[in-house]
Amino acid sequence: MSNFEERLLSALKEEMTMRTAEENMAVQTPVRRGSSRRFVGLGAAVAGVAAAATVAMTVFSGAAPAYAVTKGADGSVNVQINEFSDPDGLKSELAAAGIKSVVDYLPADKICKEPRGEHSASSGRVQTRIGKADKGITFQIEMGQIAADQTLVLAISRDQANPGKPPVSTALQLIKGTVAPCVETAMPALPPPSKDNGPGLTGRKDDSKGSGVSQSSDNQ
Amino acid sequence: MRLNEDPAAFEAFYRGHVDAVMRFVVRRVGDPHLAADLTADIFLAVLDSGHTYRPGRGSEIAWLYGVARNVVSAQHRRTAREAQATSRVAGRRLMDDNDLGRMEERIDAERQMRRALEAMRGLPEGERAVLELVAIDQLSVAEAAATLGIRQVTARVRLHRARRALENAASPAAVYVEGQA
Repeated sequence: MSNFEERLLSALKEEMTMRTAEENMAVQTPVRRGSSRRFVGLGAAVAGVAAAATVAMTVFSGAAPAYAVTKGADGSVNVQINEFSDPDGLKSELAAAGIKSVVDYLPADKICKEPRGEHSASSGRVQTRIGKADKGITFQIEMGQIAADQTLVLAISRDQANPGKPPVSTALQLIKGTVAPCVETAMPALPPPSKDNGPGLTGRKDDSKGSGVSQSSDNQ
Repeated sequence: MRLNEDPAAFEAFYRGHVDAVMRFVVRRVGDPHLAADLTADIFLAVLDSGHTYRPGRGSEIAWLYGVARNVVSAQHRRTAREAQATSRVAGRRLMDDNDLGRMEERIDAERQMRRALEAMRGLPEGERAVLELVAIDQLSVAEAAATLGIRQVTARVRLHRARRALENAASPAAVYVEGQA
């Protein structure tokens, strides 16, 4: 049964989806690649959110097994994910390395609904490198980067049928206190991937209090 | 919860209020196409101002009527053509013949209210606004005050003055309005 009220509701919901997609497009800044290491100051602000960074990556490379969490001599933790298939396993590996985490692997066209919780405020600038490893993604967390009350929240959108394929989108953030469970929502349209053979890195930052997570992409 | 970000919350809000919004509109315009456009515009404005929305029954009504009033009075300042050009969801295009008939019925049902509003036209704006919300839209004085962003005591004074003025005018519409208030 369709009538004016129902059709109007559908039109308004479509409008909502379009607006959300446009907002996300507006704050995504394509990053040109050139040097082997690049720090990306992620811009834009969302009211009421202290500090968070979401990085959407498109990578083109082969596949390889599993994940690896290794502790460096300086106390840093290196995380390499090659296959996006065992979030709980990665979570316990991270826990063993002293990092409380929430890991979600999502279908390729879905992301987690934001916000997931209170973003960590005024912990200074947090440096994390997200690099394209041979097979998957790697990132490094420096010692003391994550405070006791913070949780590393990782949400990766990937092809479910091919868990070894590189992810469509990677979101990494630090949440203070309770982390809301991932509510899947449609992924907004991404700008076309960069032409060269590397991750097309687009940054989106919610930062209203000055501190932030800055990401560098790293060709390995 | 953000009304403009959570589709489920928006749907609940829409279903809870679409009827009241349509009634609000047809008390003010007699054209079914324009009424459909304005209904769409009001809910678009709800999305635009969703960040100012605070859940809670009393404030919810006041907030919605505030939005609706702004949309309808803005429409009066524009031509219909302009209104169509600026809206991303054209309500009139969402109506089929059946809906058009239903909208006309709604418009007919509110004929007396539109006449009563006509009778209030001579009142000072501040007084008319309070009387409109209380007598025509059946809001409580507290809700009307919240909608207009004025204190309750101010709303009461204005309401009293407006009724007095209409009594003195003693038109049939004024008597009707008094009965409703």
